[in-house]
Amino acid sequence: MISVFFQYDFLTYSLYTGLMIGFLAPFIGVFLVVRRLSLISDALSHITLSGVAFSLLLGRYYPFFAGLNPIYMGMAFSVSGALFIDRLRNVYQYYKELAIPIILSAGIGIGVVFISLANGFNNDLFQYLFGSVVAIRQSDFQIVSIITIVVLLLFILFYKEWFYLSFDEEQAVVSGIPRKPLHFLFMIIVALVIAVSMRVVGILLVSSLMTLPVAAALRLAKGFKQMFIYAVIFGEISVIFGLISAFHLDTAPGGTIVIINILILLFAILFSKYRRA
Amino acid sequence: MEILQQLTFLERGIAAGLIIGFICPLLGAFLLVRRITIISEALSHITLTGITAGIFLSQGFVFLSFLNPLYTGLFFSLIGSLLVEKLRQIYKNFQELAIPVILSAGIGLSAILISLVNTSYSEWYSYLFGSIVTVSLNDLLFIIITGLLAFLMIVAFYKELLSISFDQEFAKVSGISIRRFNFFFSILIALVISMSMKVVGILLVGAMVTLPIAASIQIAKSFRQVIFWGIVFGEVSMIGGILFSYFFDIATGGMIVVTGIGLLLLTTIIKRSKEYVEHKLSGG
Repeated sequence: MISVFFQYDFLTYSLYTGLMIGFLAPFIGVFLVVRRLSLISDALSHITLSGVAFSLLLGRYYPFFAGLNPIYMGMAFSVSGALFIDRLRNVYQYYKELAIPIILSAGIGIGVVFISLANGFNNDLFQYLFGSVVAIRQSDFQIVSIITIVVLLLFILFYKEWFYLSFDEEQAVVSGIPRKPLHFLFMIIVALVIAVSMRVVGILLVSSLMTLPVAAALRLAKGFKQMFIYAVIFGEISVIFGLISAFHLDTAPGGTIVIINILILLFAILFSKYRRA
Repeated sequence: MEILQQLTFLERGIAAGLIIGFICPLLGAFLLVRRITIISEALSHITLTGITAGIFLSQGFVFLSFLNPLYTGLFFSLIGSLLVEKLRQIYKNFQELAIPVILSAGIGLSAILISLVNTSYSEWYSYLFGSIVTVSLNDLLFIIITGLLAFLMIVAFYKELLSISFDQEFAKVSGISIRRFNFFFSILIALVISMSMKVVGILLVGAMVTLPIAASIQIAKSFRQVIFWGIVFGEVSMIGGILFSYFFDIATGGMIVVTGIGLLLLTTIIKRSKEYVEHKLSGG
């Protein structure tokens, strides 16, 4: 079943890209969930859609953008969205939680306008929304590899600081950890991971790969490190099954990935109940 | 009924838009003070699953072909709202996880169902991003009835909704059953979402609930004013969006949202400049 993925170049790329995303998304997701920011991934993935749509629109008028991978514009929008959320939280001091639905709906609304200006309501858009196995190009593979290496390096460097900030922010600040720059860096990483994941999983489903495996891991793990291990394992399982079924059954890979994650989550909830009883 | 039948497709769309522009911000005001605006996103995504399931069933089984996807959408969003409550109980320490979980489950299931159903992409796009030209007479009736129902529910229980939204403890003491009311509230949200999605689109219903209210709290001085300005902004973005989308041939839902964002920017600027002027005056 999986052997076909090694026969064709484009499938090999999508398999490796998928595996890297299956690692990255749940890995970042653990920090997001623990810091209670899981909703931010939804907002950022929707703003990535505006970026992709903007790139498609520019591509119609300027040949330079037609050759450019839309993922770059997606990354730019996602990073600026991450920075804008913090600004919005300051505007609504009493209703800070409003920032996320505002960014989310603005992202998708502006995206829709760009898409319809570019006459882009076609098959391609569906691949961006719900993911695809065949759309991965070599350039996607390269970007994902670079991001994976950068994220790993940053985490090796700053693991202790982020760990501390996630669990006891006050204490961490008191002991001299620079909260703002680290938070800033973290948000940029989240934005980049979301943008690169969208090709395989689909814009509408990126956030589920960040939250669902972690939600399942939360029920089973006994420590923070175990949470990472479980979340990454669940993520990888779902991505592999998603890609295989997408190729053989011609379904959207994002959909299958989410459903497998939901099944794992249900199993984890039942298992943890059973264990307690 | 006679009058409704005489409407052209554009008039039907505008009538539906006006009803939605009224009800969505009205509900949004209560969601805002309860701090659960984001729930509308989760429920709208699960409504999409209902719609795809409805289309899937009506295509796959002849005896179900009468099924209108709007009703399965409503049904799913009701189930979704109950699941959100259930998940909040399971994840006691991470209650905010319930919404992303439901949101992704909803959209994931619909992605699979969409790949299974042989319908043209353009029909899905009209569900996802809205379209006023596809509002049929039946849809308009559905919107009028559900809109009226939601409006009556809010008017009849205005006091209870208000007290539960602002001071849950006080409401409990004065004998309002919180659990029953949360359930009632969920039904209300599910109703409003399934009535709005035909015009605004599933992915953009959340925007209609959020943006007008986000703009109105910038300038309003009381809860009544929040509701009043919210409705004004809702209607303006509806009418503006529909007109723009008709004349420039851009997706309706997107244009409605962009008009809403414009209003939000405008109110923010007004508020900022007011503060600036007051600051200058008091400063000397």
